[in-house]
Amino acid sequence: MLTLTDVKKSFGAHEVIKGISFQVEKGESFGLLGPNGAGKSTLISMICGLIPNGAGEIRVNGKLVGKHLKETKQIIGVVPQDIALYPTMSAMDNLMFWGKMYGLSGKKAKARAKEVLNIVGLTERGKDRIETFSGGMKRRINIGAALMHEPQLLIMDEPTVGIDPQSRNHILETVKSLNEQGLTVIYTSHYMEEVEFLCKRIAILDEGKLIVSGTKKDLNNRLAGGIVLKLTVGTLHPSFIEQVKKLNGVEKVIVQTAEELDVHLQSKMEIVADVILLASQSGVVIHNMQLKEANLETLFLQLTGRSLRE
Amino acid sequence: MKSLVIAVKDAKIHLKDRKAILMMILMPIILTVILGSALKGVMGGGSMSETVLGVYSPESNEMAESIIRALGGDGLAITVERAESEKQLLDWMEEREVHVGLLLPDEWDPDTERAIILPTTGQETTATLIRQMIETFAQMSQAIAHSTTTVMAEAAALSSDGRVDMEAIQQELTTSIEKVMNEQRTYVSEPALEESVSSMQYYAAAMAAMFLLFNAMAGGKSFHQEKRSETLSRLMMTPTSVRSILTGKFIGAFLFAWIQFLIFMGATHFLLKVDWGPSILQVLFITFFYIFSVAGLAMVVAAFTTNEKMADIVGTMGVQVMALLGGSMLPLSLFSEVMRKIAMAMPNSWALTSYTSIMTGTSWSALWLPAGVLLGVGIVSIFICSIRLGRRIA
Repeated sequence: MLTLTDVKKSFGAHEVIKGISFQVEKGESFGLLGPNGAGKSTLISMICGLIPNGAGEIRVNGKLVGKHLKETKQIIGVVPQDIALYPTMSAMDNLMFWGKMYGLSGKKAKARAKEVLNIVGLTERGKDRIETFSGGMKRRINIGAALMHEPQLLIMDEPTVGIDPQSRNHILETVKSLNEQGLTVIYTSHYMEEVEFLCKRIAILDEGKLIVSGTKKDLNNRLAGGIVLKLTVGTLHPSFIEQVKKLNGVEKVIVQTAEELDVHLQSKMEIVADVILLASQSGVVIHNMQLKEANLETLFLQLTGRSLRE
Repeated sequence: MKSLVIAVKDAKIHLKDRKAILMMILMPIILTVILGSALKGVMGGGSMSETVLGVYSPESNEMAESIIRALGGDGLAITVERAESEKQLLDWMEEREVHVGLLLPDEWDPDTERAIILPTTGQETTATLIRQMIETFAQMSQAIAHSTTTVMAEAAALSSDGRVDMEAIQQELTTSIEKVMNEQRTYVSEPALEESVSSMQYYAAAMAAMFLLFNAMAGGKSFHQEKRSETLSRLMMTPTSVRSILTGKFIGAFLFAWIQFLIFMGATHFLLKVDWGPSILQVLFITFFYIFSVAGLAMVVAAFTTNEKMADIVGTMGVQVMALLGGSMLPLSLFSEVMRKIAMAMPNSWALTSYTSIMTGTSWSALWLPAGVLLGVGIVSIFICSIRLGRRIA
């Protein structure tokens, strides 16, 4: 469905996409994870043909995006990060307008708009102006507009930013259901739990580079043991950190703040007692201690030394 | 087709915007009423349409009755109300039941006694016109009287020789004088072309020309609004070409301007009784070309500004300057020769002069030049903007 080969993009002297390659198969749900400024939106804009790629090639259904722009645009449905709707127009009118922009006739656009309102669960509000909707409802119509022409590939750029948990769940369930019905989905977010919930394959981007990609299982295998011991202490002593690093079974130690320390373990080992002992020997007071299963956030931290939401 | 969908969407958005409706449709109607009424006295033409003349003549004589008959005759649009007393006439004036009062003294003779003309506030121009009519009538009557006296005296001298039939001459003169006296005359001279419309007509045309210009500002702003709200980016992600989007924006501005003009024209015609002239086709013809140029200017505002605020400032300033120089605020007839030449650079001035010409009756051939100029403005604007905007959004 989508193939990116060594795609690059620069704005002036600043290279924002540094040779990215990946493939998305038909019917797949693919997650693009990365912190703000990682290059996710730029990559999406290039896939959608909004900005030309500097180097490399992007193919949608085997067709080069730059060369067959009209055809590839017809295949893709895009949910932009911002709510790109007309606030003074009704939900129905907005949906019909976007449908017509993809070539739907008036009659077909009307019928499809009713279907889409049903999909996003807003049938009752179809005649209301967008400006009277809550943030979550606007987001749902924003997604609906991308579904009007029944695209084969749905690209969603952080579609749940700034909404309540209820609307977020509704959106995630809707997207999951669409994917189960055969729609190919590319979902970008810096919320790793959303990507974990929706996507079978995930790529993590940072500073314009693809730092890792694979199935959730592949990525979990890359995690250092998969367990993190999170410590909150009074004051961290350098000698304590050094001694913890030397403990048997400790993969990595990351100092989060002056009082917080993440200890990455190779496996669930009984080292808690050793850590407590070391702390008391070094005069470090432990306020809190948590054992956590590693996740994509942990992997990103492992690979870049930074948090996804930084 | 997609351009039309974008155009209809833009027009719908405009029509749902209460502020825009207030600004584009209600405001010009209100300003037409205010300016048209305020400058009624200055502009003249058409101000005789609803004049009620109160007359008091204590002892009627032939001359007084003749002048009253002449003033109240068909074609002058003056309704004469006869007062029973001087007090009654003054009461009528105080209560503004009459526009102008006319007091004719006992045994009025224009040679020896003057008629008193009393205007109510704001009716000074009408009073002046009535005074001129009375003077003209009196002069004509006196001329006939003197001529008759002279002819009769000469004839009497000749009749002593038995060469002239005095009875026949007298009979012939009486018939001629009666005919002249009973002839209806309008003693208003033909006004100059630019002043031949009423103030209400002038300002209806002027406000139409000015407020259609505001479309340029609104059109420019609409483009930036789409950019800010990311709907322009979303449009670009659909299989819609840049040309279709730009054409859609142009037609949208064009469509809204038509709606605005037709509502305004209807409102001024039916509510303010503005006469747009004998040919509605000519009005629509010139409006088509004017709106074409205005829609082009809308694209200029969009192309040469970077955001809504800038479009707002540039648009408002541009409209005001054009309105001022193009005769939408002050009548073009008050402009100096140099200013009239400058006005020719303003598209609203071409539209305004065309409208006023149509109102007084003009030929189709007289409209070709303004239509051509307006078409040229539109084409040049579209050409420049399509290059600049096309590059910017592509």
